[in-house]
Amino acid sequence: MKGFLLGLANGTFCFAYCAPILVPYLLSEGKNVQRNFITISYFLSGRLIGYLAFAIVAWITNLIVIQNLTSRTTILGVVYIALAVLLMFYGFGTKEPHCVAKSTKALKKRLGIRHKYLLPVILGVLTGLNLCPPFLLAFTTAVEKDSLRQCLLFFLTFFIGTSVYLIPLPTIGLLRRYDILRPVGRLAAGVMGVYYIYFGFITFQGSIH
Amino acid sequence: MLNNSTNERGKGRSLIKAFLLTLPMLFIMALMITGGSGLPKDPLHLLPMIIAYIFINGTFFLMILTMKTDKYRSLLFVTYALCFVITFISNLIEVRGSMVLTHEDMSQGHTPFCHMVIPMVIVPAALTRTIIFPGSMLEGFAAIGSMLVLWLGASITLGKGWCSWACFYGGLDEGFSRIAKRPIVKNINKKWTYLPFAILLVIVLTSAATLAPTYCAWLCPFKAVTEFEEISSSKILLQTIIFFSLFVGLVIVLPILTKRRIQCGLFCPMGAFQSFTNKFNIFEVRIDPEKCVQCNLCVKTCPTFSIDEESVKKGKPKITCTKCGKCVDACPKEAASFHIKGTPLGVNYEKARLIFIYPAFLFLAIMGSGMITGAIYRVLLLVTTESMFK
Repeated sequence: MKGFLLGLANGTFCFAYCAPILVPYLLSEGKNVQRNFITISYFLSGRLIGYLAFAIVAWITNLIVIQNLTSRTTILGVVYIALAVLLMFYGFGTKEPHCVAKSTKALKKRLGIRHKYLLPVILGVLTGLNLCPPFLLAFTTAVEKDSLRQCLLFFLTFFIGTSVYLIPLPTIGLLRRYDILRPVGRLAAGVMGVYYIYFGFITFQGSIH
Repeated sequence: MLNNSTNERGKGRSLIKAFLLTLPMLFIMALMITGGSGLPKDPLHLLPMIIAYIFINGTFFLMILTMKTDKYRSLLFVTYALCFVITFISNLIEVRGSMVLTHEDMSQGHTPFCHMVIPMVIVPAALTRTIIFPGSMLEGFAAIGSMLVLWLGASITLGKGWCSWACFYGGLDEGFSRIAKRPIVKNINKKWTYLPFAILLVIVLTSAATLAPTYCAWLCPFKAVTEFEEISSSKILLQTIIFFSLFVGLVIVLPILTKRRIQCGLFCPMGAFQSFTNKFNIFEVRIDPEKCVQCNLCVKTCPTFSIDEESVKKGKPKITCTKCGKCVDACPKEAASFHIKGTPLGVNYEKARLIFIYPAFLFLAIMGSGMITGAIYRVLLLVTTESMFK
């Protein structure tokens, strides 16, 4: 449940930053809504692969690093605060975070027409592996999980939460209103950053007490 | 027809015509203020009623006579908000002994419900069939049911006009936004006009996730002038610091500096939610492209950032327009006007204004009369007994 809620809360950021990769692709393909839904499902499948890969990394991090730390709550509190500031910086500021999936031209050329369907899957994997602030916040929460099953479940529910915002994208009407929805998504991510600062302070305070 | 109405607007109406048009309001307000049960004999109750009656109807008369909307609306709107604060706090202190809301009050459902909570309760109510607010559904002062009915009625009638004609908080930052002669801060980045929608999105999500009204707990600036939770933990202390800071910043300081309604235009999630009601409401403000000389005075005067250069070109304000009438009054070429959807543009705009201001003013007058009467009563009580409480 926590993963889903976290995903739901941070999904606005994904909408603001991942959708720009997907929207031009969908528009350039110029397909109908049904085809767009298929493309989105390819994209989301790739994204899920990326997330589950990170669940494994989170579990390994927990085993190797976190469990051996004496002041893990203090560190997690500080990490939360730092990432929340980053989220606010991108949400309220004008800077764009770098995304590994941004340049698709070369990839499209290499895949050719035969394997064209792979492009949304690869874009999905790349956005899934992207170290953006909400993703790092989720990762920070996941490293606290003790078992691999918990980590996978957390990232799966996080994925579902963040995907909620991307599912309506294939509908043409929404694509037309995208220029308005994007700043709303960005600012909402900034507001969520304010919440995480509080959450980080609470975690930090808890470690002191 | 067009020229006649243009000339009329410049001169205003004759006294007799204005009086005749005010008559319906005089009758309705007489019924509303007395509750249909005659006048009280106690001068402490009678005097506030008379003052409120004269003030409200006088405002409406001037609105009709001068054909100016915003100036008189604002006068009543700001008075209503100030009187709301006086009446609300006095009632709270009389009933509870302080403005502080205890856990006991909340568990007994004694928290007054306000419209700000509405966007937060919809999703949880649909999912869990529970209203996530510690108030009473039908009983007592400001029950959830009565507030919802009132809001629904106003939304159908006025759309986002609610924010300039009915909201009991809006008059506070409007009042402060009218203090300075000229704005000190002029350039505000357009992107911040999306912030209310972002806050709306976050509070709807977090309220659904936590099954608690997060805006009320963390962000509502108006808790500073209504009621707030008893400080019993560092978390509540932090919440108190946040809403007091937001009140000072968004309702007092920034409106003075910018001459705009910052809380309403750049923060209020309820306002953002209310914007969608403009889609189905029949009243709107339009800018006639044939008359418009692109002076952008409407852009500069709009208190809620609802008009920009692009919307002037399009001939209508953004979805966030609160129908306050400031642009209509300010337009030197009378290009901006109230309009009824489906009717031709630029024809009979005074009729359209009248058709709009009757229901709009009625909402403001009905909601404001109780507050104004209550506040005058408290002041009179203070003067005569040296205490505002019975």
